[in-house]
Amino acid sequence: MVRIKWLVTLLALLVLVLGAASISAQDTAPEVLVTADWLEENLDNPNVRIIEVSVNPGVYERGHIPGAVNFVWHTDFVDPVQRDIVSGERFQELLRAAGINDDTTVVLYGDTNNWFAAWGIWIFNIYGLTDARLLDGGRVKWEADGRALATDAATFEAGNVTIGEANADLRALKDEVLSVVLGETAGQLVDIRGAAEYNGEIFAPEGVQELAVRAGHIPGAVNVPWGQNVREDGTFKPVEELRALYAGVGIDGSQPIITYCRIGERAALTWFVLHKLLGYEVALYDGSWTEWGNSVGVPVNNPAGTVWGGQ
Amino acid sequence: MSETVIGGSRAAAPARSSSSRGAWLRTSLALVVCIGLVGVAYLLHDAAGYGAKASFSLLIGAALGVTFARGRFCFFCILRDWIEKRDSTGMFAILAALAVGGIGYAVVFGAFLPNAFSGRLPPDAHIGPVSWVLLVAGLAFGVGMSLSGACISGHLYRLGEGYSRAPFALVGAAVGFGLGFFTWQSVYLGAIRSAPVAWLPATFGYGGALALHLAVLVIFGIILLRYLPSSKNLSTNLTPHESHTTGSLTPLRARRGDGGEVNLGNSTSDTDESERLTLASLASTVFRQRWNPLVTGAIVGLLGMVAYLRVEPLGVTSQLGSLSRTALDNAGLLADRLNGLDTFAGCATQVVQTITENGWLIGGLVLGSFAVSLLANRFQISALTFKSALTALGGGVLMGWGSMLALGCTVGTLLSGISAFALSGWVFAAAVIIGVWASLRLKLHS
Repeated sequence: MVRIKWLVTLLALLVLVLGAASISAQDTAPEVLVTADWLEENLDNPNVRIIEVSVNPGVYERGHIPGAVNFVWHTDFVDPVQRDIVSGERFQELLRAAGINDDTTVVLYGDTNNWFAAWGIWIFNIYGLTDARLLDGGRVKWEADGRALATDAATFEAGNVTIGEANADLRALKDEVLSVVLGETAGQLVDIRGAAEYNGEIFAPEGVQELAVRAGHIPGAVNVPWGQNVREDGTFKPVEELRALYAGVGIDGSQPIITYCRIGERAALTWFVLHKLLGYEVALYDGSWTEWGNSVGVPVNNPAGTVWGGQ
Repeated sequence: MSETVIGGSRAAAPARSSSSRGAWLRTSLALVVCIGLVGVAYLLHDAAGYGAKASFSLLIGAALGVTFARGRFCFFCILRDWIEKRDSTGMFAILAALAVGGIGYAVVFGAFLPNAFSGRLPPDAHIGPVSWVLLVAGLAFGVGMSLSGACISGHLYRLGEGYSRAPFALVGAAVGFGLGFFTWQSVYLGAIRSAPVAWLPATFGYGGALALHLAVLVIFGIILLRYLPSSKNLSTNLTPHESHTTGSLTPLRARRGDGGEVNLGNSTSDTDESERLTLASLASTVFRQRWNPLVTGAIVGLLGMVAYLRVEPLGVTSQLGSLSRTALDNAGLLADRLNGLDTFAGCATQVVQTITENGWLIGGLVLGSFAVSLLANRFQISALTFKSALTALGGGVLMGWGSMLALGCTVGTLLSGISAFALSGWVFAAAVIIGVWASLRLKLHS
């Protein structure tokens, strides 16, 4: 009897030590990523505000992480008239309406693979709000874990957050990309689209409208499809594995990096990996292929040789 | 017709042994269908590419099928009873569905979009553009209903009862959908693009919109009270298809043998001793008598709310229309992109290679109706003539064409639209009623 008690105590101690070890392991992980466990413990934390950025309409409304507010990527994060990101003034209004203060920790998550949540993080960073974190694995993992969802839309008292000037270093415009392509500025390009798009075999992924009149990629860009950043369950691969993945194609942070995709949003996930997790100097080219593939006079590399409109 | 009631106490005396064997067969088959439905729903839940929404859609569809069949929730039959037979009993099922649906949608909207004045519309609620195209579409739909003998949801549940015109009407609807796409392309810029997408809560708020909604329903209810039949005319014993086509069967059958009657207008049996619930009376209420229209409507309204909360608003044409669109797309006959179509909520069509959630819902609807009509001994393959097949096909084409342009049918645009406080739902309803009324006047249905 005594021996069993002793064993139980020992086991309990072991569990405690292991638990503590795993917690400290989490602590050393970058501050930019939160786990579902952490978020679940902080659902009632008034200094944490959760924002869902999902691609598909109706997803947030039919159940979201309790307390989360909804940001719509195609109206809240962009200028709906001119092709540009949201203005600072309007963004600040939105954040205040969501009850965000200067000291609030913001956690973003979304459907698909956090694509548009990562794009949201990029916007937050552009406007100087660098304590915006991403929920590792996003909505898919949260649901797969069987964690609770709520359907009531959260409302908050207006916050007092003040945003900064837009940080141009995080964003690449077409001329800056061209200057890298022409060798006038140092830099490397990462194309995160699928291989068939990169090679110019197709203009857009299956089922997606073709929005560019040229196929292929920006000359000099390496192709690392976004999916290589994540594990099967949607969480990011370990930092060292990611570092090796990109080093394998010559992206090691020794030069400034520019990421791009088709319409400019998914590339934010790779921007997040390279900049926030690996600490490299990275800008997102949000014009992406829908700008480059339609621009007159810019160089294009089209290995497959597909001709728009047919041969 | 010899009458057999599954689980009931009074199977007809003649041919007892053969009918009890028939009853056993029917019950077994119904059970197999029910188990199949539940089994498929269970498997879908974890199936790659489907998941909880597909599974849930199948079950909602089955529940709708049971409710439609047992409550005879057939828009055409209900309208014809009212217009031709001056019997508005069934209309109260529609009013009840809209009342409960409206309350349900208001509850869901409050959670989905707390501020009705934000300038946004609630996600994927069936709020459509209001233009003359919607009116024409509704008229065509009403005429198509009369010609073919039922609306699209009516054909789907009556397919489960053995209505032999239903397959012709449904094929016709798929063809009509195809024609509708071409019409859409030609009228979009002229009429639909600039048409107002009017949503009442954006003007009146949720409370105001719901109050207005209920007030209008009450006014219709008061008007319709005059057309309720007296209890004398209640009950004859007709086969399922007779009851759909003659319209003389008052929905609330008298409880044969126990004398108690339930009537919307004047209940005579509140204190009747025979109202006491027994297993036999329950079985009779569920499987033998037609469901009370108010109960039927309330269940339909509730299912509409549940469907919107969990999956998408109720509708029955999206999979059908998608089949047409996919076929036309494969044949290279239709533009990849239909002007502006994807910017409206409604029974959306897409080029698909798979069974959508709406497809599962429709499958559940037909099978749910089939199972319950077996249990109720109402399954009977109806007689078919060349003429009735042809008119079903033609009516189906009109319905498909109309529901493509209206972005839904009597379920998607009328029921889910009005419940969502969309003006388009009311306009479509008015046009459908006028279309049915005119067709009945012109004797198109006979």
